[in-house]
Amino acid sequence: MDNRSPIPDPRAPQVAEVQAPARPPQHEKYPWPEKTRLLGTRVSRIDGPLKVSGRAKYSYDIVRPGMIYGRILRSPHAHARLKSIDAAAAEKAPGVKAVLITIKPGDKVLFPGEEIGALAAATEQQAADALRMIKVEWEVLPALANVEQAMRPEAPQVFTPANTRKGTAQEDGDLTAGFKSAAFTVEGTYSTQVQTHTSLETHGCVCEWNGDNLTAWVSTQAVHGTREGFAQGLKIPQANVRVITEFMGGGFGSKFGPDMQGLLCARLAKAANAPVKLMLDRKEEHLTTGNRPSAFAKVKAGVSADGKLTAFDATTWGTGGAGAGSDYPLPYIYVFPNRRRMHTDVYINSGQQRAMRAPGHPQGCFVTEVLMDELADQVRMDPVEFRLKNLPPLAPNAMWAKYFPIGAERINWKSRHVTGDPTPGPIKRGLGCSANRWGGAGTGARAHCEIAGDGSVVMRCGTQDIGTGNRTIMAMVVAETLGLEVPQVTIELGDSNHPFAPGSGGSTTAAAVMPAMRVTAGKARDALFERIAPQLGVAAGDITIGVGTVSAGGKTITWRDACRMLGTVPVSVDGQWERGLSAGGTSGVQFAEVEVDIETGITKVKKIVCVQDCGLIVDLKTAETQCYGGIISGVNYAVFEERILDRNTANMVNPNMEWYHMAGQSDIPEIDVVLVDQPERGVIGIGEPPAVATAAAVANAIRNATGVTLRSIPITPDKLLTELERAGGTN
Amino acid sequence: MARKKRTHDESRRDFLRTIGAGAVVSASASLATPSDATAQQAVATLGPGEVPVTLTINGRRHQLSVEPRVTLLDAMRTRLEITGQKRVCDRGACGACTVIIEGRTYYSCSMLAIEAQGKNIRTVDGLANGNTLHPVQQAFCDNDGLMCGFCTPGFVMATVALLEKNPNPTPEQAKKALDGNLCRCGTNIGVLKAALAVKGGIRG
Repeated sequence: MDNRSPIPDPRAPQVAEVQAPARPPQHEKYPWPEKTRLLGTRVSRIDGPLKVSGRAKYSYDIVRPGMIYGRILRSPHAHARLKSIDAAAAEKAPGVKAVLITIKPGDKVLFPGEEIGALAAATEQQAADALRMIKVEWEVLPALANVEQAMRPEAPQVFTPANTRKGTAQEDGDLTAGFKSAAFTVEGTYSTQVQTHTSLETHGCVCEWNGDNLTAWVSTQAVHGTREGFAQGLKIPQANVRVITEFMGGGFGSKFGPDMQGLLCARLAKAANAPVKLMLDRKEEHLTTGNRPSAFAKVKAGVSADGKLTAFDATTWGTGGAGAGSDYPLPYIYVFPNRRRMHTDVYINSGQQRAMRAPGHPQGCFVTEVLMDELADQVRMDPVEFRLKNLPPLAPNAMWAKYFPIGAERINWKSRHVTGDPTPGPIKRGLGCSANRWGGAGTGARAHCEIAGDGSVVMRCGTQDIGTGNRTIMAMVVAETLGLEVPQVTIELGDSNHPFAPGSGGSTTAAAVMPAMRVTAGKARDALFERIAPQLGVAAGDITIGVGTVSAGGKTITWRDACRMLGTVPVSVDGQWERGLSAGGTSGVQFAEVEVDIETGITKVKKIVCVQDCGLIVDLKTAETQCYGGIISGVNYAVFEERILDRNTANMVNPNMEWYHMAGQSDIPEIDVVLVDQPERGVIGIGEPPAVATAAAVANAIRNATGVTLRSIPITPDKLLTELERAGGTN
Repeated sequence: MARKKRTHDESRRDFLRTIGAGAVVSASASLATPSDATAQQAVATLGPGEVPVTLTINGRRHQLSVEPRVTLLDAMRTRLEITGQKRVCDRGACGACTVIIEGRTYYSCSMLAIEAQGKNIRTVDGLANGNTLHPVQQAFCDNDGLMCGFCTPGFVMATVALLEKNPNPTPEQAKKALDGNLCRCGTNIGVLKAALAVKGGIRG
């Protein structure tokens, strides 16, 4: 199984990255223009028309001549040892072209849905029928369905060497002195749920062999990483593999390699001597393609009488499934001068976690921000004022002190009542706030640019557009650099035959690819000048570019006429990411307004305000949409979604999309996004930052509305009603 | 969590109707009195092998041969290469497979191909006129009502159905009409803007 991803370690220290230089060095040759024509404006996605018309072909939509369909044989048990397996009947079943069994008697499976074989048949129905004909006998073993079971001293030892793995303590300052100087302390246990990525396009691919060469149309966030994964998994040279992902239906951190289903698909295609399509179904997707780990934190924190944080002591744990980690950054953002934290990974019999939209951060943000509101109440301070007192120093990537007042103004913070809405009646209104940070720096992208004699411009880059708008902002940068309009630029991406670019994870794509676009387009422009200078009778250095024009020596000609001088040999240049055009480190704050019905326990998120920076804004339209998307995922995390495992079998009881709850259109709040432009910093990614803070802001707003503290998300009606009951009913 | 497909008040009977006549037959058969059951036996059985099916999709007739258990969605996608509508949940929860049949939205993953015969089925593939987008499609582009785009064909069809029935929906009516569709990227803000932007712009 391939779980590689370029996601940074969530254990990165909380304060170290808050010190970006105020004005980073700019690129010498191709700096971002002082005055932009396209950058920072609202440009509609260039692939919008293809997507709204159904003409965009995703991996799921690829049809190849003679293509057949693959299905994977999976363990129905969470923990079991294989006794026997007999695929003879399946091999003879109608339509079946290939059967692979990847398990042998005596082997163990460690989670429901673990792959044990695969087959391919002429139709999907025949493949499903044949799969049922494979006779499998299991010795079912005790399974661990949750962290409580796994951590019990008498628990069966399911994992080697133990069901838990203790990390090393992270300590700073003097904890004893910190608590001594505290006027108040808060103690509590906080928790966040496991959520699954639930990408709408499931994982999978179409594999086609031509001799020893494999072409794979894969739903992936990394065409080059996936090529490498196929080559390693199949023991063939990377030169023999081509991975294509022209369009893909969401990944959120879960799609960085071929995975087991990709390798099985390729092997089936080889065995059947036919192209094979193997896309997972929704249940397989929930069980086996990753999830955000749960987080638990037993915290004690202290605050001085004047509202300064003094100490933070936390024991934390969580599960990333069968043998995978669950760490997350804690405490988050705010400065606790004296702190200690010890994390333990707990293993259970469920599918392994993978990076998921801002891995670690929503967990750390939730725990810290709810605690912050509780501490603020202890010292009877306004939560915003309290936060302002305890933030790290202001820096370009640490602008919270500037953003909190902006957000407070827009959510009408002054209308906030103290904890517990005193209004009579069942509907309680509340406000809450929280902060987020993220990296979003990228490097390493390469590109190739051609300018043809008819004025066409083609830019090729082995990056991918996973729905962020990458294709569009690439075209904007190239068009800005060459003095063209966006539709005049052809962007080719999503193909491992294009120049290398890193996988799209960690919000790194924009910061990796935009500098490559700027540099490569700039070099192409210079090469064009060199080529046409003799015909214009001027030095190349005297040629300039306008909008759709080229000027030299007081004469201006159209772009097309200039390019015509190239004749049949196009300008053809390579370029790559260079320093001085991008950076890392973002900050943002969010505010939430909720209405809670204390009779039904139902929370309606009414409004979210988001103040967020991301360096130089390329496309204001798609950047705003990134914020909307992140916030909506945060609303889901706060009040709706949760992977639920049966406590006896460890099987998922909601592996679908009706009981795995996500917001429908009527559940979407009003969202007010304030994007802060920092053009001097260059491009920084924005895919993940807005997803971090929403759940904590919503939880704090619910606390403010109801007067009861929910230290566990999702805040579902049952949890809320239980807590209200425990608090002695309502006013 | 509202996520009903229909724009109007819905009963279980409506739901059964929407998932197709065949489903109603099998559902009612299980509740049937003996005399009803006898009447059911007169119905000819199809399959289990492939049977000829004629589907009219976006004004074009297609003749194909599929097993009776094949859904309309899978028949379109795997036999006719009409891949605009997507398979996401495959059980009537997410709306990515939404088609319009006689003015109403249907989840094509939850309707058998054999049930869809003799009906005029509309998918996102047939909306644009050459390279000119349908006003709803154009509004989705203009208002950035899409990201990865995998839910988009379903949202576009649900919006078209809404506006053909109610050209001037209120925001609440539009939200309700789109509650049967789920998006994971979180494009709902742009989707709602798009649905309201073409207000009055199209009629059925």
